[in-house]
Amino acid sequence: MRRGFAAAALGLVALATSQAHAGSPTAGEWLQRMTESLASLNYDGLFTHTAGRQSETMRIVHRVEDGRSLERLVSLDGSGREIVRTPEEIHFYMPDRRVVLVEPRSDEGSLLKALPAPGPRLDELYRLEVSKGNRLLGREVRVLDVRPRDAYRYGYRLWLDEKTAMPLRSEVLNVEGKAVEAIHFTKLETLERIDPHELEPAVDATGFQWVRAGKRAEQRVVVSGWRPSKIPPGFRLVATRTQIVPGVPVPVQHLIFSDGFASVSVFIEPGMAKGPAPPESTSVGSANAFSTQVRGYVVTAVGEVPAATVRDIATSLAPVDEAVAPAAPAPDAKNR
Amino acid sequence: MTDQIREQMSALLDGELPQGEVGLLVRRMARDAELKRAFGNYVLAGESLRAPGGVVASQGFAARVGAAIDAGEVLDTVATPVPARAPVRWRRPLAATAVAASAALAAVLLVRPDGGDDQLFAERSGAPATPPVLTLPVGGASPTPAQNQRLAGYLVTHGQYATPIGRRNVWSSALATDPSIEPRVTYETVEVP
Repeated sequence: MRRGFAAAALGLVALATSQAHAGSPTAGEWLQRMTESLASLNYDGLFTHTAGRQSETMRIVHRVEDGRSLERLVSLDGSGREIVRTPEEIHFYMPDRRVVLVEPRSDEGSLLKALPAPGPRLDELYRLEVSKGNRLLGREVRVLDVRPRDAYRYGYRLWLDEKTAMPLRSEVLNVEGKAVEAIHFTKLETLERIDPHELEPAVDATGFQWVRAGKRAEQRVVVSGWRPSKIPPGFRLVATRTQIVPGVPVPVQHLIFSDGFASVSVFIEPGMAKGPAPPESTSVGSANAFSTQVRGYVVTAVGEVPAATVRDIATSLAPVDEAVAPAAPAPDAKNR
Repeated sequence: MTDQIREQMSALLDGELPQGEVGLLVRRMARDAELKRAFGNYVLAGESLRAPGGVVASQGFAARVGAAIDAGEVLDTVATPVPARAPVRWRRPLAATAVAASAALAAVLLVRPDGGDDQLFAERSGAPATPPVLTLPVGGASPTPAQNQRLAGYLVTHGQYATPIGRRNVWSSALATDPSIEPRVTYETVEVP
């Protein structure tokens, strides 16, 4: 009897495995496909961005040129702000403030280019499920649920085009499963080619203040300097560097933490001459920021994670070594 | 405890309780020790979801939640050392009970649920243990243009290191939301005896 049960169980496992490999893609494979599609396809879409009670229409144009992503994201309502990724820089047009923030592009595809990658580590932090969904924009859809196993990270519900794996709709969910941010495409075209002119900003920035960050050459990787004493489970320090951030007058140390799906940036800059300020928090959509002072430095954590996560990371950091060396990776850094 | 009270507490935690009912509920909890304890446990149930590694909250947590609900004491504790900070919205007099509720809620959300979470983290990391602390909101203010610009810069930079879906969310939020709309909440941290 026992042997029969074991044989049946083995048969089920074998069946599940063969289905995963030979049949429909697994949830992890859908996640990977989506990430690749977002980075590698040419597309032009209109979507509604909703956070809290605020809803705004935006347009995204994404073009791949020589293997690099060029992108224009523009708010069609209200402020008329735009973010344009050129081959060399990121331009953030803020017509409401008559300011353009300019930052050099990081390494193509970012340090987290290959993430999220399905695997045991991601499975420890998130539960991935995929199911058949109702049609959206006339397309067949798979619904991918990325459910966090604790409250240090958000969950995601993604409606993916079965053909392209492009997300036609997405929701960022808090621990209670409530949407804190949603993006809903009303039009999305994947195209063979996108005219370069579509990536030009509509904003006339004549007379605007251009706030430039330092050049790439000025960015250095920090051997050490600041390390966390304790961080939320699953997160790890993946890179540290010193760089200029637009709008910040001095070089800042930039630490990047990731759990393989969500990421948190920590920026460390010298404190104000007028003395320490109390800790502060703020939220922008599903992104949260927490700022505090540690030994005369202002430590600010920013990420698409719950407020408690940025707070815990920011308050866990302490300086361990002031030495800075050019282009030397941190022991646990992943500089790709 | 009636279903109505339970629903009100749930709505309070969700930030969905009408302003007029917030004061009533907080006053009621301040008077009723049983209700205060129940609210602490209610919060605890939610907080336990984020407790890493299945950490069990200490009994003291519910008591600290109760203390936080007693907002007058809480604000006295933290307001005295920082009398000069301005602008401060959440400050005595406490006639506005919604203010007290906000302080209590923020307090319970920021108190570590097990009262020893830091200790556990410290044991794992080898770092020295720190005493449990209560982080309380003591003020809020609209950010200055310079602060806005700084945050915008941080968001743009961070977006470069996020996954494609994360970047789209962060940058869309930066486009849609003027940070000046969102008040920056300031905190004071006190050790819990």
